[in-house]
Amino acid sequence: MNKRYVILIAVAVVLFIGVNATFFTVGEPDQVVVTALGKPVRVIQESGLYLKIPFIQQITRFDRRLLEYDASPRAIITKDKKTLRVDNYAKWRIVDPLLFLQTVRTEAGAQARLDDIIYSELRVDLARKDLIEIVATDRSELMELVRVRTDAKARTLGIEITDVRIKRADLPEQNEAAVFGRMKAERERIARQFRSEGKEEALKIRSNTDRERTIMLADAYEKDQTLRGEGDADSVRVYAEAFERDPEFFDFLRTLEAYRKSLDNKTTILLPPQSEFLHHLNMSEIE
Amino acid sequence: MDWDELKKPRRFTRGPDAPPPISLPQIKLPFKLPGIWVLIVIALIIWALSGIYLVRPDQKGVVLRFGRINRVTDPGPHYHLPAPFETVHKPKVTEVKRVEVGFRTIFQGPPARYQDRPTESLMLTGDENIVEVDVIGQYRISDPAKFLFAVKDSEGTVHNALEAAIREVIGSRGIDEALTTGKEQIEEDTRLLVQAMLDRYNSGLQMVVVKLQDVVPPNEVIASFVDVASAREDRDRLINEAEGYENSVIPETRGEVAEILNLAAAYRAEKVLIAQGDAQRFKNILEEYVKAKDVTRKRLYLETMEQILPGIEKFILPEQGGGVLPILPLGRGAAPPLLGGN
Repeated sequence: MNKRYVILIAVAVVLFIGVNATFFTVGEPDQVVVTALGKPVRVIQESGLYLKIPFIQQITRFDRRLLEYDASPRAIITKDKKTLRVDNYAKWRIVDPLLFLQTVRTEAGAQARLDDIIYSELRVDLARKDLIEIVATDRSELMELVRVRTDAKARTLGIEITDVRIKRADLPEQNEAAVFGRMKAERERIARQFRSEGKEEALKIRSNTDRERTIMLADAYEKDQTLRGEGDADSVRVYAEAFERDPEFFDFLRTLEAYRKSLDNKTTILLPPQSEFLHHLNMSEIE
Repeated sequence: MDWDELKKPRRFTRGPDAPPPISLPQIKLPFKLPGIWVLIVIALIIWALSGIYLVRPDQKGVVLRFGRINRVTDPGPHYHLPAPFETVHKPKVTEVKRVEVGFRTIFQGPPARYQDRPTESLMLTGDENIVEVDVIGQYRISDPAKFLFAVKDSEGTVHNALEAAIREVIGSRGIDEALTTGKEQIEEDTRLLVQAMLDRYNSGLQMVVVKLQDVVPPNEVIASFVDVASAREDRDRLINEAEGYENSVIPETRGEVAEILNLAAAYRAEKVLIAQGDAQRFKNILEEYVKAKDVTRKRLYLETMEQILPGIEKFILPEQGGGVLPILPLGRGAAPPLLGGN
């Protein structure tokens, strides 16, 4: 009875080891190089279940996914002699695992080689551009150019470079201080401009107001004088028309009126006896 | 009893007096069945049942057969062939994940606490200014299979893509646009750029939104920027004051003008009416005067004299020379000094 169990277990173990050494799976994120005693015999880039000769053939797994290369920031001199601290990253994948195995062997080895390739390309290409072109205008084209060039070189390692990006492009500290100085000056200029624009606009509004006021008042003066002149003229005409009927009588009446108004109790008058008023006072006449 | 003794494996629990260990063949079953097969069958059933899996509402199930994608399943109970034939991954596809550039949330809160990352947040603008930008991105899984197997380290990929994209977008703009008017456009452009990168990486991720949290000038120059804001205020204030002046002066002047014109109109009307009145009066008098000229003339003269003379000092002159002789000192008492001496 016990002997039967032992045989059963032994068979199971042997079977398990045999199956494990014969079958292997290639997962979605994997690709595999099969070697027979060191000699590459097969490259598998499709996932699924595969067979190999146990104990003679070996498999080496590589990542089939997109991998990242992230460099530490480095100083690069631009065409206009400015220093730029560039931090870039790249996306790459292993497209030829056999070549990859033969040249760099591991991902860590690949990182080191990529570092050389990408940095030297970046340095060369960025040195052909001014800082502002790198930062602002030509960034995407520049990155695509670097990608194409580095990709060509990396192909010899079984690597495809999908993307190269400048993550950061900053100025070194001493240049930063200069930029801050310039920014301050520029802001001061803008602030001054705002203030003087305010004064300009205020002066325009105020002087315009004053102008309007002056014109309005002068206009009013003109109308005022015209109206008054009209009144005067009308009155002259009305008077003249009436008085023309008997100028002599008008003279008489108006003189009397003038007497009434101008002779008051502060006046002293000398009357000759033969004046019209006193002519009845004349004794000789009475006699 | 010392400690060494206590530490010893307690082998003595199964002493010679203890009952013998239970072994299946010794149990008397009502029916005959070799125990090993029962165990194997139970193990097989358990193994087979291990293929039952549940996909929760926020997940999708990705089933791999021998490492190869076989099917994608929706939320609910499902079955896959037990390992090692099939395995399942269950990524959370509805969950919106968040990536931060320029700062990190170090405590969710409330109140939330953030930590600034100046090396990430300071960036060059297209006019060679430096601006401090904090931005977040929200993304979710759009294709679970790609998400699982296309890119290594999805989170780091999104972070790097966002960092590169925001710098590229900010770098293509002037500082004023970044600080004030262009924010929405920057967000949208950045989102599209990140999405283009993620698509290029075949990442199975969708950038839902990119949101600028903070776009501010660096600390070193912030005072100058604040001064620009206050200069703008000053400008508006000066203009407002001038407009206030205008608003008070113009109506006042209109009032003055109206006053002047009213006075002038009044003057004219008055003048004309007085003239007409005077003229009419003269005409009336003249009409009667013509009828009896001499008498009226005399009467008018004498009436006037009557009115005038009582109030004034009068001297009557002697006839023809002989100096001035007050014959009739009519009026008030004493003679004027000029004459009094004679």
